Amino acid sequence: MTGSLVIAKREINAYFNSASAYIFMMAFLLCSGILFFFNSGFFVMNQASLRGYFSLMPLVLSVFSPALTMKFWAEEKRQGSYELLLTLPFSDLELVAGKFLASLLVVIYTLVLSLGVPLCVSMFGHFDTGPIFSEYLGAILCASAMLAVGQAVSAASNNQISAFIVSVSILLALSLLPQFAIWIKLPDFFMSAINWLSLSYHFGSFARGVVDTRDVAYFVLVSMACLFLASRFLAARKWS
Amino acid sequence: MIEVSGLVKRYGFFEAVKGVSFKVEPGRVVGLLGPNGAGKTTIMKVLTAYHRASEGTALLNGLDVALDPLGVKRIMGYLPETVPLYLDMTVREQLGFAAMAHGIKTRHKISDAMERVIQACSLSGFEDVRINRLSKGYRQRTGLAQALIHDPEILILDEPTSGLDPNQILEIRSLIRSLAEKKTVILSTHILQEVEAMCSEVLILNEGSIAAQGSAAKIAESLQGGEKLDFVIYTDSQFSSGKWMDAEAGLGLYMAESHQVSENSRRFVVKTEIGKGDELAIKVFDWAAANGFKLLEIKREQLSMEEIFVRLTGEGIKK
Repeated sequence: MTGSLVIAKREINAYFNSASAYIFMMAFLLCSGILFFFNSGFFVMNQASLRGYFSLMPLVLSVFSPALTMKFWAEEKRQGSYELLLTLPFSDLELVAGKFLASLLVVIYTLVLSLGVPLCVSMFGHFDTGPIFSEYLGAILCASAMLAVGQAVSAASNNQISAFIVSVSILLALSLLPQFAIWIKLPDFFMSAINWLSLSYHFGSFARGVVDTRDVAYFVLVSMACLFLASRFLAARKWS
Repeated sequence: MIEVSGLVKRYGFFEAVKGVSFKVEPGRVVGLLGPNGAGKTTIMKVLTAYHRASEGTALLNGLDVALDPLGVKRIMGYLPETVPLYLDMTVREQLGFAAMAHGIKTRHKISDAMERVIQACSLSGFEDVRINRLSKGYRQRTGLAQALIHDPEILILDEPTSGLDPNQILEIRSLIRSLAEKKTVILSTHILQEVEAMCSEVLILNEGSIAAQGSAAKIAESLQGGEKLDFVIYTDSQFSSGKWMDAEAGLGLYMAESHQVSENSRRFVVKTEIGKGDELAIKVFDWAAANGFKLLEIKREQLSMEEIFVRLTGEGIKK
């Protein structure tokens, strides 16, 4: 996996050499912070809790994580470096894993910066710090699945904008599925199937402070499946 | 060594390469020549494991491109037609990335490899310039330096001198010639002089098949003798078109061009399309003597690469 580290290093440099990583971090922190403090009734509830902050996480990540992945393959194809990467001694999986690792590190870095939010909340009263660990772990796992979905879409796409729009649509659909299911009152069997598919459903237990191995397995499985799919898209182009 | 056998590449229903076979020995520079769409780039993409062949095999130093693509990528350096560089990187960063990609690990070894290619490709002074600020020629050099960073045994270069100025072209040509002493080099080009200047062998492709293979001189020879014969005769009498026709029939050759040097001159310049070596030259001499002409000049010339190319790829005027 040394190849993945080489790719990850290049990608991280590319993120921070351009404004894209800074814009992502700023927009993510501002957006999630504003929504939490001013839109989800934090001050009205008069409760020092981060549950509201993390309940927004699947939606915020659905919109922001494709911003990190949309350029992955579409941009490589546009500037011709795609041919370079595929003719250097990297396996398809190494390439995909390297880019994934870079995007995940940017998200983790952003989440570390978001620790300012719990610090702010702690000024308003005491809250249980235990769930913070599970909430942040859940956020990282959820972001990992979303970044993997975004990369698979980018690998299948030739254009950054279309990769972004398709990724956001898929991720929003996966996040909002349970709500749709409640509105249209589906039978229980379908409800549980839809819940199982939903990213926000699996994230829910982390937001409540519970680390359930089934949810961990779900996010890991989705991440691996999508990364494998992305590598297959790269391989398929060799036959085109 | 590169060994290609029965290589076929289809894009949907379109067959871009139709059963091509060839071999490139170490220490040789082979030029792929052909009109647009002849299959040159496709062959290179298959050799570099960027595309999979539909049929046939390609071996690089005995490694099968389809079965061991990673092994193949480790021993070859590739410069595609569109130079693949990251515009947000400096030359040094780009070369460092390529070095690490090829498994060059320690900082010391990476720095040595970089110095070697920077010198070889005359990139000194540009190491810390961001690639988006480089001219096309310097980007081409950076691409070539990147292909050479791991000192590969096989070099695959798709139009290596495109976009370079005449001085840079000469430098790159001499660099490729010097590299060829130890490596196997295959390059494609549209510039016919380049083949003559750099390649020990030529592979002329047309519509996905090999139209001719071998050294430029050998290919020329195989083309019905492969020589042009130009001669100048001096005549006392007026020369009629009937006499030309007789001459054409008698000599068994096509007079590509014949003209009087000037209005009152008795000198006639004759250019034949294809000659047949000594035998034809003797025939011309005898014909001139039999008709009372004085043969002032006779010049035998080998077909140029352009002429061979036009003949084999069916372009230009077909006689």
